Amino acid sequence: MGQAQSRMNDTELIREAQRGNHAAFEELVRQYDGAVLRLAYHLTRSEQDAQDIYQEAFLKAYRNINNFRFECSFYTWIYRIVTNLCLDLLRKRQVRKEDSGIAVDSEGGTYDLMDQVADQRSGASPERDLMRRELGARIAKALTKLTPRERMVFEMKHYQGLKLRTIGEILNTTEETAKNTLFRGTQKLRAALRDMK
Amino acid sequence: MNCDWVQQNVSLYLYNELADDARHELEQHIQRCKACAAELAAQQEFQAQMNALVVEEPSASFLASARMRLQEALESAEQHRAWYHRFVFDPTAWLRQVRFSPALAAVLLLVGFGSGLGTMYSALGSKAPHPASQNTIQEASIGGITSIEHKPNSNDVKIQYQRIVPDSVEGSISDPQIQEMLTFAARNNFNNSGVRLDSVDLLTSKPDDPRVREALTYALRFDSNPGVRLKALDGLKDYVKQDIRVRNAVLDALLNDSNLGVRAGALKALEPVRADTSVRMALQQLAKSDPSEYIRTESDRELASMPAID
Ligand SMILES: [Zn+2]
Repeated sequence: MGQAQSRMNDTELIREAQRGNHAAFEELVRQYDGAVLRLAYHLTRSEQDAQDIYQEAFLKAYRNINNFRFECSFYTWIYRIVTNLCLDLLRKRQVRKEDSGIAVDSEGGTYDLMDQVADQRSGASPERDLMRRELGARIAKALTKLTPRERMVFEMKHYQGLKLRTIGEILNTTEETAKNTLFRGTQKLRAALRDMK
Repeated sequence: MNCDWVQQNVSLYLYNELADDARHELEQHIQRCKACAAELAAQQEFQAQMNALVVEEPSASFLASARMRLQEALESAEQHRAWYHRFVFDPTAWLRQVRFSPALAAVLLLVGFGSGLGTMYSALGSKAPHPASQNTIQEASIGGITSIEHKPNSNDVKIQYQRIVPDSVEGSISDPQIQEMLTFAARNNFNNSGVRLDSVDLLTSKPDDPRVREALTYALRFDSNPGVRLKALDGLKDYVKQDIRVRNAVLDALLNDSNLGVRAGALKALEPVRADTSVRMALQQLAKSDPSEYIRTESDRELASMPAID
């Protein structure tokens, strides 16, 4: 970006969107939607779920743009919406998992993703692919041991590289709490991976 | 700094989340403490291991399809908003707009509250209770809003305003006030596409004003009359390169407009920016699966003539 002459910053775009300017809202979407989709996809490991979250998040933002009071950045705000939707989904999945008594995520998404990972790396040796795929499946399984919130914090820190302060802000909590959640999640993951060896 | 603290914080150290002094101390500690050094190595290995679950950027087509789906949903969400929220539920927002535009038409809104999609609104001229006529826009302007009244036991709102210029306005197209009026007419003269067409037509002679471009973009996106949309497109087409919002609107017209003529025009207008990722993605999709043969062939042609670097 940056090639636009009349480039507006977020504040101006939001004000415009609040006045009913659709182009402004769409530009806001385009600034953040790649990151949103990446987060939702990596977290849910399902294209369908990721797309649903994407859709719902931006529609929600659109409907509520008039409630945006500039107390945080638009970035934080949209991530707050997205993480809430993701947490809902993770909770629902957890309930389903407990109901069905199946230990591993049975969506099939895990394996789909692993296949893709392997495919994209074709050219590497098949054994390496297999190892990577197995490791990936193991990690995905270990991740299901986390609570939705631990999973979310780990996702945002480890995979999306957000600062803990930002993560705290997004999750409406303190940096300290985010740190503790990360620590707990990390310990669980390490234990789970050890057990699987 | 004790071992407990270090072992709780090695992960933050690796994520570069420690303050400089804590970081320095931790490094010193690791030098002389084997247990903590081992913990650091274990955490490092763990983090590397977790990276086997690769984070991929969403593919272009994945993103494009998400965008298109959202776009569709926004169109219908928009109707609620544009008609309801701006004119019905939130008259103040609309009034703000009026107040910032000193020379707007005399429009008295009698708005029905909450009576569904068929909500009535009327744009009244000076006194006559019929839709804004060709002359309404030029006959009066609003000096100020004096009160808003929600009539008890009814669905009506009464807006009182002062009229100061019950007169026609003449002026050059370069006059900001005239431009403002034209912009307003382009957007808001709901029942008379002739007036909208005229305003859009006049506006196309001033597209280097961003506000004019915004009005044209609005017309391209939302005007119900394809003739008005085509006219707007005509005024915008030279700006697809420099104004991303224009580009997005033209791209959306290409993808979503119900009129083939408008879509064909949009396709042509986007040719100079066909190497742009979002445009290229759209072209690829259209070349593959658009119902119109013309759009398919032309998209294909633009893709084939893609410059190596734009
Ligand atoms: Zn130590």
